[in-house]
Amino acid sequence: MVVVTEPKVRDRPRTAPASAPEVSRTERRESRSPLRWALLGLLFVVMIVPVYLLVVNAFKSQQDILDSPFSIPLSGMTFEHMSAAISNPQYNVIGGYGFTLFLVITVDVLCIALAGPAAYAIARSLKKRTQLVLLYFLAGTFIPGAAVIIPVIYVLREIGLANTVTGLVAHDVASTLPVSIFLFVGFIRTIPVDIDHAATIDGAGRYRTFWTIIFPLMRPAVVTVLILNSIGIWNDFISPQILLSPSSGHYTVTTAIYAGISQYSTDLTKVFPNLLLAIAPVIIFFIYMQRHIISGLTVGAVKG
Amino acid sequence: MVELAELTRREPRSCAASAAPGSGRRRAHVREAAVTFGMMGPAVLLYTVLTVVPVGVAIYLSFTDWDGFSTAKVIGWENYQHLFDDPSSTDAWYVTAMITAIGTASMVGAGLMYALILKGRSRTNSFFRAVAYFPHVISALILGYLWAAILGTNGAVNNTLATFGMEPIGFLFDEKFALYTLIGVIVWAGFGFNVVLFVAALQTVPAELLEAAAMDGASRRQINLRIVVPMIAPVITVATVLNLVGLLRAYDIVVSLTGGGPAGSTQTFTYLILARSFEGTKVGYATAQAVFLMVVSAALALVVTALRNRQDQAATG
Repeated sequence: MVVVTEPKVRDRPRTAPASAPEVSRTERRESRSPLRWALLGLLFVVMIVPVYLLVVNAFKSQQDILDSPFSIPLSGMTFEHMSAAISNPQYNVIGGYGFTLFLVITVDVLCIALAGPAAYAIARSLKKRTQLVLLYFLAGTFIPGAAVIIPVIYVLREIGLANTVTGLVAHDVASTLPVSIFLFVGFIRTIPVDIDHAATIDGAGRYRTFWTIIFPLMRPAVVTVLILNSIGIWNDFISPQILLSPSSGHYTVTTAIYAGISQYSTDLTKVFPNLLLAIAPVIIFFIYMQRHIISGLTVGAVKG
Repeated sequence: MVELAELTRREPRSCAASAAPGSGRRRAHVREAAVTFGMMGPAVLLYTVLTVVPVGVAIYLSFTDWDGFSTAKVIGWENYQHLFDDPSSTDAWYVTAMITAIGTASMVGAGLMYALILKGRSRTNSFFRAVAYFPHVISALILGYLWAAILGTNGAVNNTLATFGMEPIGFLFDEKFALYTLIGVIVWAGFGFNVVLFVAALQTVPAELLEAAAMDGASRRQINLRIVVPMIAPVITVATVLNLVGLLRAYDIVVSLTGGGPAGSTQTFTYLILARSFEGTKVGYATAQAVFLMVVSAALALVVTALRNRQDQAATG
C-alpha cells in the first residue's frame, strides 16, 4: 500500500508547473529591459562587494588593508595572518567548528526524535484538547528567546544543568520544538489517514507506524526542519554565550569570534582572517545546497 | 471490514479499540491515550520546563526588585511604571521602533521589487536569488563585524575616501548616522529572505490569469499592482509579521556592528535588557522590559494578521 500512495504524497509539496511557453515569453521580455539589468547590477555589487573585501583582505598586511582595501593582493599576498588565525590557541574558530557541529547534530537529532512523534499524535487526533497542545506550542513562537534567556539560566540552575553542555542542548532543543512541530503537523495532515489504518491492520503499533511508514513520507518537511534548525543553531550567539561561560572550555564559532574580535577590533589582520574562517564553510555549504535551502525555507511560510 | 473503515475514519486513534471485542474496548482506549501521551509527553515536558516556565519566572521576577543574588522582594507594578519614565528605556524603544518600522518597510518593499523581476524560472534568476539570499545563512554577529570592518573609521570605505582627500564619514561613530547604518546593514542581511518568499508565492499565481489581463490591455505595472500583489497578499502578511517580530528582537548585529554606541544611539530594547541583566543589579527591571517586549511583539503580530484578514474580507465580500 505504500507503493501505491507514495507518489501521490511526494507530489504534494511541489508547486504546480507554470505553463512553459508563457514563462519563456515573459522571461524574454524581462531580460530585454535595461532597468532590470540596472537593478540586478546594483544587487550584485551591493551583495558581493563585502564578501570580496573579506576574501582579499584576509591575505594582506595591516598596511595594505588600510592603503588599498579594494586591491587584489597580487604582490603582497601573505598567508601569515591566516595561519595565525587557524592556529590561534586562544580564540580558535576552527576549534569552534567541532563543538558547533556537535551542537547542531545533537539538537537536530533530539528535535526530530521529540517533535516527530508529538506532531504525529497531534495531527492524527481529532480531540479538542490535543489541538490545544498545538496552540500551546505555537505560542512559543511569540517568545523572544534573547529576552527571556535570564530566566532560563534560573531554571537551569534549579534543575542542576547550569553552565553545562546538556543544559545548552536542552534549551536549544526546546526552542526549536514550536516551529518544527508546527511544520510537521501541517505536513502529516496532507498524508492520507488510510495509510495509518492499513499499517494498523497489518499489526503495527503507533510508534512503528510513525517511524517506519509516516516518517519516511515526511522527507520534505524533515529536510525543511533540519535546514531551519541547523542554520539557527549554527548562527546562534546568545544561548552559547550566556548559557556556557568561558570557564566551561566550550566555545562555538560565534562565541570564539566574539571573544577574539571584540578585543582586537582595530587589528584588521585579526578581523578579516577570522571572519573568513567563520564564513567560508557556510558559504561553500550554501552554494552546494542552495536550491534545497531556499526551497526548504519557503515551504512553511508560503503554504501556511 | 466496511464497518471498521467507517469507524476508523471518524476516530483514527481508536482503530485498535474498535477491532478489539467489546469488553476490552475501554482498556484499549486507556492504552491509546497512554500511547498518545507517550508520543507528545517528552516534547511537551521539555518545552514546558525550558520555554514556558522561564516565561512564568520572567513574569514573576518582573514584579520584584531582584538583583540576581539576594532574595527577591515583590514590588508590584513599580518596574512597569518605570518603563515609561526611564530615559534609557524610552530611547531604546525609539531605536527599536525605527529599526522595526523602517526595516520592515524596506525589506518587504525591496523584497517585493526584486521578487517581481526575479520570479521567472531561469538560471540567471536563481543565481541572483541566491546572491540576495546568502547573508541569511551567516550569523548576524559575524555580518556585523564584517560591516564594522568596512564602514569603521579604519574601514575600507573611509580609507578609500581618504585616498581621494575626502573627509571620513562617521557611519558608525556619528550619532546622526549610526542608527541608519545599522538599519541599512540589517536590511542588507535580511531582505533576501523576503525575495525568496515572494518568488515562491509569485510562482503559484496562475499564468492564464496574467495572460488574460495582458490580452485585455493591462500594462505590466497594472498587472503587478492590481492582480499579482493582491494574489500574494497572504504571503506579504506572513513576511511582514516575521520581519516585525524578528526586528523587534534585534540583538546580535547591534553587539558586533555598533556595540550600542555611539552614546547609546543604537541600543535596541533587547540589547538594553541583556546589558541590564549583566550589570547584575536590575534583573527584576530587565525582566519587566523582556515581558513588555514579549507582549508588544505578540500584539503586533496579532494586529497585522487581523488587519489583513479584515482587508481580505472587505475585498471578497
